[in-house]
Amino acid sequence: MSAGATDAAGSAVGWRTGEGRLPSLRWAEPWLLPSLLLALWVLTTSVLKWFGPSQLPSPAQVLVTLRELVVSRELEPHLAASVGRIVVGFTAGAVVGTGLATLVGLSGTAARLLDPTLQALRAIPSLAWVPFLLLWLGIGELPKLVLVAIGAFFPVYVNGAAGIRNVDRRLLEVGRLHGLGGARLARRIVLPAAAPALLTGLRLGLGQAWLFLVAAELIAASRGLGFLLIDGQNSARADLMVVSIALLALLGKLADQAVRGVERRLLSWSDGFRA
Amino acid sequence: MSLRIAIASLLLSSLVVAEPLKELRLDHATYNPSSLVLKKYGWVEEALAREGTKVTWLFSAGSNKANELLSSGSTDLASTAGAAALLARTNGVPLKVVYVYSKPEWAALVVPKDSPVKSVAELKGKKIAATRGTDPFFFLLRTLQANGLRQTDVELVNLQHGDGRTALERGQVDAWAGLDPHLAASELQAGSRLLSRNIDFNTFGTLNAREEFLRAHPEVVRTVLAQYERARAWILAHPAEAVQILAEAAKLSPEVARKQLTERTVLDRDVGVPGEKLRAALAAVVPILRSEKLVAPGADPEKALSELLAPGPAQEARR
Repeated sequence: MSAGATDAAGSAVGWRTGEGRLPSLRWAEPWLLPSLLLALWVLTTSVLKWFGPSQLPSPAQVLVTLRELVVSRELEPHLAASVGRIVVGFTAGAVVGTGLATLVGLSGTAARLLDPTLQALRAIPSLAWVPFLLLWLGIGELPKLVLVAIGAFFPVYVNGAAGIRNVDRRLLEVGRLHGLGGARLARRIVLPAAAPALLTGLRLGLGQAWLFLVAAELIAASRGLGFLLIDGQNSARADLMVVSIALLALLGKLADQAVRGVERRLLSWSDGFRA
Repeated sequence: MSLRIAIASLLLSSLVVAEPLKELRLDHATYNPSSLVLKKYGWVEEALAREGTKVTWLFSAGSNKANELLSSGSTDLASTAGAAALLARTNGVPLKVVYVYSKPEWAALVVPKDSPVKSVAELKGKKIAATRGTDPFFFLLRTLQANGLRQTDVELVNLQHGDGRTALERGQVDAWAGLDPHLAASELQAGSRLLSRNIDFNTFGTLNAREEFLRAHPEVVRTVLAQYERARAWILAHPAEAVQILAEAAKLSPEVARKQLTERTVLDRDVGVPGEKLRAALAAVVPILRSEKLVAPGADPEKALSELLAPGPAQEARR
């Protein structure tokens, strides 16, 4: 494979990524670091035995545990509980977040009334909410959903409000010149123009929902991946801890990919968005 | 040449062994009254002062936390319930039981004062709080089993001992497998009612050593156990003062501390050297570990039990 062939075939691709050598191996680059880490894991646990099974179990042990959980169908309720909490909590947080972002982004009065308070609440760490929610909402499902919703709310709100506030004044002028006003102006001009920021907010909100989910499930849960993690901790089962952390990472990544897919579809018209 | 190296390394290793321990790390817990007395009077510090060993005390909120301290190497000795020590050993924590600090009836199943529940069987489908991996948790599983129920027949809410009490008293759970002193406090202060008790479902209080530490410093373990024996004798001779110490350390009213220490903690028989009584109590837990899937796939509780007890240091300390 010569450099000339690459240039002829896809100079645009080469130009965009900034280098032209060995494109056939580039797909492997993201896997390099994970493979090295995996090798290190095998080496320190199965081969050198630096870590006991109660500190860091070997990948083989983790796979056995995972298979056992899947085969016995014990994993299902935990997965269902966590995913369900994300769906409900994230939806609630995203709806409220988008609504308030629109209000604050469009109205200066609303911004002056609400924004400083919301920005202050945003600084509260997830675990700090827990005792308060337990106290007021008990230990059932509601406090967990509320915590996830709080996690999703702030990124959606902050990014959305900024996106709407920063919509190009000239676009609004053009809209007004064409006789658009109120709701139609919002639908035709404001929302599309603010869509990239809103979608970024949703993506970050989903990520933060997972962070808050674990905080919610660490305390007073009987199901969920966060519960599985704490159960592993309480019964000296590091294999369970690794399994639940790996599943959390995997599900978080999948959810993120899903939102990226939506983003790509909705924003394919945009100049600034590279699919 | 290689012989010379062997001799040199032998000399070196004997030097390493002879070197006195710089720091001993111990835990204290409200469920282990002797540890509170030891900490208050500084007897371990006194006994190790000659060797220049510094003593650091860590707090254990429950067996699960004590096991974490041991597993991570943050402490050298830690107090748990016997069943929790067995669970940890089964799941690969390298620990040995070196001493039995009490025969307690510290775990029981309680319901709120005005609960309509009259029997364990009525708990089917109900919410029960417990700290997984601790003695009340095992107590609960065995009590459920004795009444024809399994873990999956109830909703088990995982809460640390103190939080379980709060949840019960606020009506957020239907029952709570509690641990003293929280249990005694809830009974006396909130009128919580004992639904089921059975001293034989309690698995003794055990002091556990990291295996590596026991191998490297058996003499230090012996010294600590001698002081534990001293504390035990002192509590038996001075129950009123001991109640006072427990009340202070655990921030309890004197009545609660008295109930825990004088009614529910046996210190004058079946304690000290870990032996046949403890082994029998733990053997009864093994089937539960398996049937409720508390151990990692491939882990072997029978083998763990056969390796768990190290009675040597306690026997020597008593001599």
